[in-house]
Amino acid sequence: MRRVGAVAFNTYRETVRERVLYNLVFFAILMTLSGVLLGQLSIRQDEKIIKDIGLASMDLFGTLIAIFIGVGLVNKEIERRSLYPLLAKPLAREEFFVGKFLGLCFTLLVNVAVMTVGLWLTLAATGRRPDPHLLAAIFPIYLGLMLVVALALVFSTLTSPALAAVCTVGVVLVGRFSDVIRSMREVAPGVPRWMPNGLYYLLPNFRNFDFKDRVVYGDPVSAQTLLWVTAYALLYVAVLILGGLAVFRTRDLQ
Amino acid sequence: MGSTPSSALRIRGLSKSYMVGHLRRRPHAALRGLTLDVEQGEVFGYLGPNGSGKTTTLKILMGLVFPDSGEAEILGCPLSDRLWRYRVGYLPEHPYLYDYLTPREYLDYVGRLFGMRADARRRRADALLDRVGLSHARDLALRRFSKGMVQRAGLAQALMNDPEMVFLDEPTSGLDPAGRRLVRDVIVEMKAQGKTVFFSTHILSDAETLCDRVAVLRGGELLATGRLDDILRIDVQHLELLASGLSAEAAEHLPHVRARQSVGERWRLEVEERGLGETIQAITRAGGRVLSVQPIRQSLEEYFLREIGPARAAESGVVD
Repeated sequence: MRRVGAVAFNTYRETVRERVLYNLVFFAILMTLSGVLLGQLSIRQDEKIIKDIGLASMDLFGTLIAIFIGVGLVNKEIERRSLYPLLAKPLAREEFFVGKFLGLCFTLLVNVAVMTVGLWLTLAATGRRPDPHLLAAIFPIYLGLMLVVALALVFSTLTSPALAAVCTVGVVLVGRFSDVIRSMREVAPGVPRWMPNGLYYLLPNFRNFDFKDRVVYGDPVSAQTLLWVTAYALLYVAVLILGGLAVFRTRDLQ
Repeated sequence: MGSTPSSALRIRGLSKSYMVGHLRRRPHAALRGLTLDVEQGEVFGYLGPNGSGKTTTLKILMGLVFPDSGEAEILGCPLSDRLWRYRVGYLPEHPYLYDYLTPREYLDYVGRLFGMRADARRRRADALLDRVGLSHARDLALRRFSKGMVQRAGLAQALMNDPEMVFLDEPTSGLDPAGRRLVRDVIVEMKAQGKTVFFSTHILSDAETLCDRVAVLRGGELLATGRLDDILRIDVQHLELLASGLSAEAAEHLPHVRARQSVGERWRLEVEERGLGETIQAITRAGGRVLSVQPIRQSLEEYFLREIGPARAAESGVVD
């Protein structure tokens, strides 16, 4: 566990030094502009729009980081051969793989946490109450980001970073529009039934992590719902990480 | 696979093929049934031209690639055992160390992987950076390092755990003369401490200077193994004679000399063994003086040229 922690900490340090967290500057600018420009709208409208923009930004920036850093997490190390001296140490491939995953997840946690504080500050600056209920939308966003990291990591063990990015984007997009897949049965009756069914049940449904509208409109999200969403995310993450490990542990690092 | 107590490395029948080609994929044998023993406390040179299988061997031993067949033991432990990794250091060829870290941070990271305590990590890292001549750059990001400095930092990380045995893949490549000297000194120091050094190189003078024994690889096969003197053919037909006080004209007319070379005020002569007495008398008569006589030993470079041919030797970058 100590070695996993060392790899995770170093991965976090890498993302910080490679200026991944600079996206927070864009977020800050976006929030400031929202606060300033939307002040003219009616009170309830500007609060809703600020929350919408804040939550959507967390989701978008987080997903972009998860995909484009995630696909390079292991592959870049193989291409640059930077993991050669490390794997000769008492560091198992499994520990390295899980450490890289946890490191990027921690970066995303910091990113989401800072953005949450930024969103609350924007609300406070425009005379609104920093709403703790937002966490009911932010927590599932973070679970979705963990799942995207796991997807990117798995694809990156199978193929090149560019193709892994394309595959990850594809799965995330399909997962966000999984209702469309389900309705494909009606829209395109020529398609064999098992195909949309298989895609619908096999690919993660990212809509399960989207509570943004409910929270912004003040609808409650029960603890039980959040628990189920957490279990859903962790199950997918576990399966993906185990699958990625099965490939990575037997891969020749040429 | 039994190993004697003094055995640091035992390799038995190690083979590895890679798939090559894009459209028509076909296997290419990188290593064919390698069997090798390295004893504890020796400096072992692993020689061969580029593409002969040296790096593949080291990658298999370090668990970076998996062999098709065969097995190996390091310090008495099978490769699958993690314990030997605490006792071994490894410097890959052209190491890439995280360039966003300073060498001190990198060594600290490596120390964590060995489970070293924070104060021990700091002390060891500083001592090693001093040893490899990087103490002035300990807080400089590795991305600002020259190739030679990265190689030195790579050597430091290989020594972080004070290993009993080190595997060095082309440790002097890319280094300036001072860097090469440093690597040689470190190897000599390790030997003096009773540690085992296994290093691959195609720089033959390094092997000639440092190694107790060598293995020579060609096309993935072991060509020869043993002491350098055993591998290199000793030419008993000719002797090398060093003489001084000879004019160029006198040297030109000496009997039984097949080659002559002026080295400052001295002459290096290759003399037929059966005519040695006559040659020495001629030197004395010409007012010269014999300084030494010794058998001619083939150099490693000559060995490579003979075994793999001049064209392939030049192609594969074997250098003296």
